[in-house]
Amino acid sequence: MTHLLQIEDLRVTFNTRYGEVTALDGISMQVSEGETLGVVGESGCGKSITALSVMGLIPSPPGRIAGGAIRLNGEDLTKASEARMRELRGAEMAMIFQEPMTSLNPVFTVGDQIAEAIMLHQNVSRDQAFRDAIALLDRVGIPSPDARARDYPHQLSGGMRQRVMIAMAVSCRPKVLIADEPTTALDVTVQAQIFDLLNEIQRDFGSAIILITHDMGAISEMADRVAVMYAGRVIEEARADDVLDFPQHPYARGLISCIPALGKGEMAETLAEIPGVVPPLHLLGSGCAFADRCSHRQGRCDSEQPRLIAHGHHPAACHAVEEGRI
Amino acid sequence: MTASFLIRRIGYGLLLMLGVVVLNFLLIRLAPGDPAVVIAGEMGGATEEMLESIREEYGLNKPLVVQLGIYVGNVLTGNLGDSFFFNQPVATLIAQRILPTILLVVTAQVLSIAIGVFLGVIAARKPNGVMSAFVSVFATIGYAVPVFWTGIMLIILFASVLPIFPVEGMQSVKLRDAGVFVQILDILHHLILPAFTLAIIYLAQYARLSRASMLEVLGSDYIRTAKAKGASQRSILFKHALRNAALPILTVAGLQFGNLISGALLVETVFNWPGMGRLAFDSILRRDYPTIMGVLFFASAMVVIANILTDMSYRLADPRLRGKG
Repeated sequence: MTHLLQIEDLRVTFNTRYGEVTALDGISMQVSEGETLGVVGESGCGKSITALSVMGLIPSPPGRIAGGAIRLNGEDLTKASEARMRELRGAEMAMIFQEPMTSLNPVFTVGDQIAEAIMLHQNVSRDQAFRDAIALLDRVGIPSPDARARDYPHQLSGGMRQRVMIAMAVSCRPKVLIADEPTTALDVTVQAQIFDLLNEIQRDFGSAIILITHDMGAISEMADRVAVMYAGRVIEEARADDVLDFPQHPYARGLISCIPALGKGEMAETLAEIPGVVPPLHLLGSGCAFADRCSHRQGRCDSEQPRLIAHGHHPAACHAVEEGRI
Repeated sequence: MTASFLIRRIGYGLLLMLGVVVLNFLLIRLAPGDPAVVIAGEMGGATEEMLESIREEYGLNKPLVVQLGIYVGNVLTGNLGDSFFFNQPVATLIAQRILPTILLVVTAQVLSIAIGVFLGVIAARKPNGVMSAFVSVFATIGYAVPVFWTGIMLIILFASVLPIFPVEGMQSVKLRDAGVFVQILDILHHLILPAFTLAIIYLAQYARLSRASMLEVLGSDYIRTAKAKGASQRSILFKHALRNAALPILTVAGLQFGNLISGALLVETVFNWPGMGRLAFDSILRRDYPTIMGVLFFASAMVVIANILTDMSYRLADPRLRGKG
C-alpha cells in the first residue's frame, strides 16, 4: 500500500568547515492518514533536519538534499519547485516548532498571524479569515478567543503561544502535521494538555502527525509507530508498543531504560543513562556510529555499517542483534 | 500610546531645551574674543568710549549671571534678541530661513532612510551575492567621503558634464512670478542635488545597518514560521522581517537627525541654499552671539522634536513597548 507521506532513502548533506558532512544518511520512514509516527533520538541525531527536509526548509546553502525522495501522496517533494512548495506548506503540511516563545512574530497580533496562514491558501476575505482565526483559537482551547486574537504574542504565556502555533498549523487542515518537540519548552502540566489537543485535532481532521521528541513518555502516549534515529540514520523502526516493550538496538534499550519509573518503590535505583554523547558527524567512521558507547561492541562493529533489517522481532540496525548476541 | 507618555515626553523635551539655552549661552560667552570689538569693527574702528557705549547698549557689561537671567527670560517670552550684524531681530532672521532648512533636512532624511533600507533589504536577501557586496562597498565609500567633497563633485558633474539639475540656490529668478505649482516644481528641482548630497552619507549607514539588522531577523524562529506557512519571499522580507528589523533603524534615525542638521550647514554653504546653515556659518565668522544662539536654539528644538517623534514611532512599530512608561 502507498502511504500518505513516504521518505525513501533520504540523504541530506551540509557544507561545513570540516567539508561536506552527511546529516541524514539514507533514512526511510512513512506515515499514513490518521497515524502518528514518533521520531526519537538525542539532540543532533537528525530529527529536526528530517522535519525541515519534508517542509523544504533546509537552509540552502549550506544544506542540500543529496539523494532519495520524499513523497506526499506520490508527489516527490525533493523535485518540486519553490512555488509548488509554497502552495503545499501550510496547506497540505504544517509544522509546530519547539520554541513557542520565539516562533510567533512579535509585531503582529496572533489573530492576524493565523488569518495570514488562512488567506495564503484559501480564497477568503480578511474579515472572514480573522473570524476563522478566532474560531480556531476557540478550538484549541484558548479562553475568550475574541479578545486574545487581538493580543500580541508577548501578552500570552508559553502554553497559550503553543496553542496559537497549533491553531495556525491546523488552520488549513493539513494532511501532515509535523510537531518538532512541541512541549519541550513547556511546563509538565501544560505538556499533557498539548498532547491531548494534538490527539483531538488528529481525530477531528484525520491528519497524519509526525511527532519529534526525545521524551519516550510522549511516544508511549501518542505514537502508533516509532523510528529511533541515531547519528543521521534510522536504527530501529516498528510499532510503538514493540519498540517500547521489546527494544532491540542497544541504543533504543538505553533510551527506554532512561525513562524514570515512577511508583516502583523508593528511589533506590539511580537513573539509568547512556554513557557518552552522539559523535560529531564529521568524525563518523565506516563502522557503527554507536559502537563507542555500546557495551556489545565486537569485531565488525568498528568496520561495517549495520543495516536496518528485521532480525526476529522487528527491524533494527545492529550487528549484535543480527548475530543473536543480545 | 498613552497620552500621559506623550505629556511626560514633551515635558522632558521642554526641560532639555531650557538646559540647552543655558549651556549655549555659557559656552558661547566662554569663547575668547570681545563681541563689542567685533560690533565696533563692523561700524569701522573703535575708541574706548565707543566700546563702552556698545557694551552698555547690548548689556555686555553686566555680570554673566545677570546676562544669563535676562537672556533666559527673553527666550521664554519669545524674544531671541537682535543680531549684532544684521540689525534685525534674530527671530525674524531665522523665520526667513528655517523652512528651507527643514525642507532640506527632512527630504534628506526620507531619501536616506527609504533608499538605504531598500538597498539593505535587497542585500540581506542574498548575503553572499553581488548586490550585498555592492552595498557593502558603497556603504564604506559613502561613509568615508566628506559631504562637502561629494557636494563639489556633484556640482562639477551637473554644472558642466550633465546640466540637468541646478547647482545653486533654491529658486530660479526668472520663475519668481510663475504660478505656485511651477514654483514648487522649481524648488524641488533645486532640492535634488543638495538633498542627495546630504543624504548619501546617511544612506550608506542605513544600508549597512538594515542589512545587518535584516540578516539577524531573517535567522529568527518566527521567520521560519512564516516560511512554514507558505508566505512568499517578498512578504517574508518586507512584512515579517522588515517590521522587526526597523526597530534599530528607527533608533539610529532619531540619533542621526542632529548630525543631519550639522551636515546641512555644510551642504547649504556648498549649494548656496538659503537656510539656517548659511546663517549659522555667517554669524559664527562674525561672532554674532545672539544669532548663533538663536540658530542653536532652533537646531536643538528640531532635534528634540525629532527624538519625540522617534520615540512615538518606536512604540507604534513595537507593540511590546506600548503601555510602558
